Amino acid sequence: MAIGVKVLDRPTEQVSYVRAMLSGMALTFKHMIDPHKVTVQYPEEKWPISPRWRGTHRMLTDETGKSKCVACGLCPQICPANCIKLVPGEDEEGNRYPLIYEIDEFRCIFCGYCQEVCPEEAIHVGRHYENSEYSRAGFVYDLERLTAQTHPVCEMWDPDDPKGE
Amino acid sequence: MGETQMVTLTIEGRKVSVASGTSILEAAKAAGVLVPHYCYHPGLPVAGVCRMCLVEVEKAPKLAPACASAVAEGQVVHVHSEKALEARKGVLEFLLINHPLDCPICDQAGECELQDYTYREGRSEGRLQEPKRFNPMEDFGGDVLYVTNRCILCTRCVRFMDDVAGEPVLNVSERGDRAIIGKFEGADLTHAWAGNVIDLCPVGALVSKDFLNKARAWELDRTPSICPNCTQGCNSIVETRDNFVVRTRARPNDEVNKYYMCDHGRLNYRWMNEQNRLEAPLVRQGERLVAADWSTAVDHAAKLLNGKRAVVLASPMLSNESLWMLSKLIRKTGGLGLFTVETGPEAPLLGVPDLALRAERAANVRGAEMFGFERSSSPLDGIQSGDVLVIADVGGMPLEIDPSALARASASIVIGTTLPEDARSATVVLPVTNVTEEEGTFTNVHGRVQRYLQARAAPGMARPAWWALGDLLEAMGDAAGYFLASEVFTALAGASPEFAGMSYESLGLKGARLQGSRQPAETTG
Repeated sequence: MAIGVKVLDRPTEQVSYVRAMLSGMALTFKHMIDPHKVTVQYPEEKWPISPRWRGTHRMLTDETGKSKCVACGLCPQICPANCIKLVPGEDEEGNRYPLIYEIDEFRCIFCGYCQEVCPEEAIHVGRHYENSEYSRAGFVYDLERLTAQTHPVCEMWDPDDPKGE
Repeated sequence: MGETQMVTLTIEGRKVSVASGTSILEAAKAAGVLVPHYCYHPGLPVAGVCRMCLVEVEKAPKLAPACASAVAEGQVVHVHSEKALEARKGVLEFLLINHPLDCPICDQAGECELQDYTYREGRSEGRLQEPKRFNPMEDFGGDVLYVTNRCILCTRCVRFMDDVAGEPVLNVSERGDRAIIGKFEGADLTHAWAGNVIDLCPVGALVSKDFLNKARAWELDRTPSICPNCTQGCNSIVETRDNFVVRTRARPNDEVNKYYMCDHGRLNYRWMNEQNRLEAPLVRQGERLVAADWSTAVDHAAKLLNGKRAVVLASPMLSNESLWMLSKLIRKTGGLGLFTVETGPEAPLLGVPDLALRAERAANVRGAEMFGFERSSSPLDGIQSGDVLVIADVGGMPLEIDPSALARASASIVIGTTLPEDARSATVVLPVTNVTEEEGTFTNVHGRVQRYLQARAAPGMARPAWWALGDLLEAMGDAAGYFLASEVFTALAGASPEFAGMSYESLGLKGARLQGSRQPAETTG
């Protein structure tokens, strides 16, 4: 009895189930007429998700609609799942930009390091969780797809409390 | 030479003895302590302009620049004392006043000394409110691009061009905070060795146009190698990214190339990534060459050579090991070994004795000569009817095959990286690796035997030439072939008196001179 385990007295003879069943039904009927509902009518209704939710990625763009990425190579380096493929190159103006930027969302573990390490605030993990595709290849998001994403992005920290105090 | 006087001093609590006249910085290096520095480079005259190497010397009134202060008996030097760290922190803060924080797009990031030392010793935040200086980029000509904003004016490049290359093209223009590295009017950085300023630049101010935006420093796999582009045999580092060579750089070796490498060697690496490579052994069946496995192809080649004289046309880019195996094949068949070599203009580096981009543009001409191959401008004239022509081609060999010479030969065997258009009529084709895909040694123009290591994976079924030749000799009745390049080299060293006593261990990564070969300095007198 050291840690307070409650031992019920076992019934020594047969008991009726009727009373227990009735009390159970009473609870069920109470919920039928109770206006308080806990069920969310997903997908019409959705729970709000945390501003720090880390879901599939989104690449932010500058005013001209080009991705902000400068192909510095930090995200493939920090990525613990090794899911980012980046080949740097030069655009017409001689600026450094990613020739190939692909994230394998299947491989991604959504740690958010890529967003944290990005010096240009280009790659972000998104507040988004509904992913489905018809093929595995569909989960390799290329630059075009990443920039076309519209979902809100993760706030890695609370702007009012950046140090998490 | 007189006795050098030794001086004993203490650096960071470690006692070290160095020759008198050595700088504190070099003495610290000997003691295993790195003194941060920008303007100092062991291959260049001391300038003492960056003030980054300030160290505290006990009983001295001020901090001393380690690069420009000679050691003294009984000196006690503190590199990481509070005073020295405080001074260097200040130097770094001044350097960062105008240095842009564009590391994400800077090619030097990851191998930048400003980045490293700031991370180690600098302030974590800048205090400067004023805008940074801006100057446009300038194309210096050659392979060099000058990103003015990133320059910290260490003047290594200026001193290299003045004192080592002997072509003073660069200078420090303007004054004070407007100072930049300038180029003399009308002059360009087109010196054959000018590319070294890119390696010398401690920051990303001088960058290679060839390497620009291609890869990040930390993604590269680095392999010690030997530049195969001329007979000088400069020690190099082959840097690969995803099995592709993206850059080659000089590897310091005081006996050969000091810290330098010429632009020809530096930029002539694309052939190493060639995509039109042979990937499987081919054996002729009627009109067509059909892919076969190694043993079939080798047996077929052995049958062709049986009782015939082999005329071997060897590329002087083959390793000592492969050339030695070829010479065994020649001896066995009573044949003939020939080579041709590409040539170009010679370009010496004045500041280093006996260092030049040599006229013969292949790594192992000396080795080929040593193993009995004859230089020939028309190598195929010696073919008599009934001979078997063996073409061992891994590059560096101008190859024009006269169809009539080929018709005289009873058969031809190609042992090569690619199948030359002229040699399509070959009977057996054996795919072999190039210099970046195998381990081996070259003998340079001064008779220095130097090792190179494997930097990338070989395509398909390609094997080192010595391996293929070992199997071929075995199929012709010789002893079994070798499994490792080091075994071939040991056997070679046992058989050739010049190589006596050498092994891969004794060569290390700096190489060793052949028995009886002269000091490089003596050859030119």
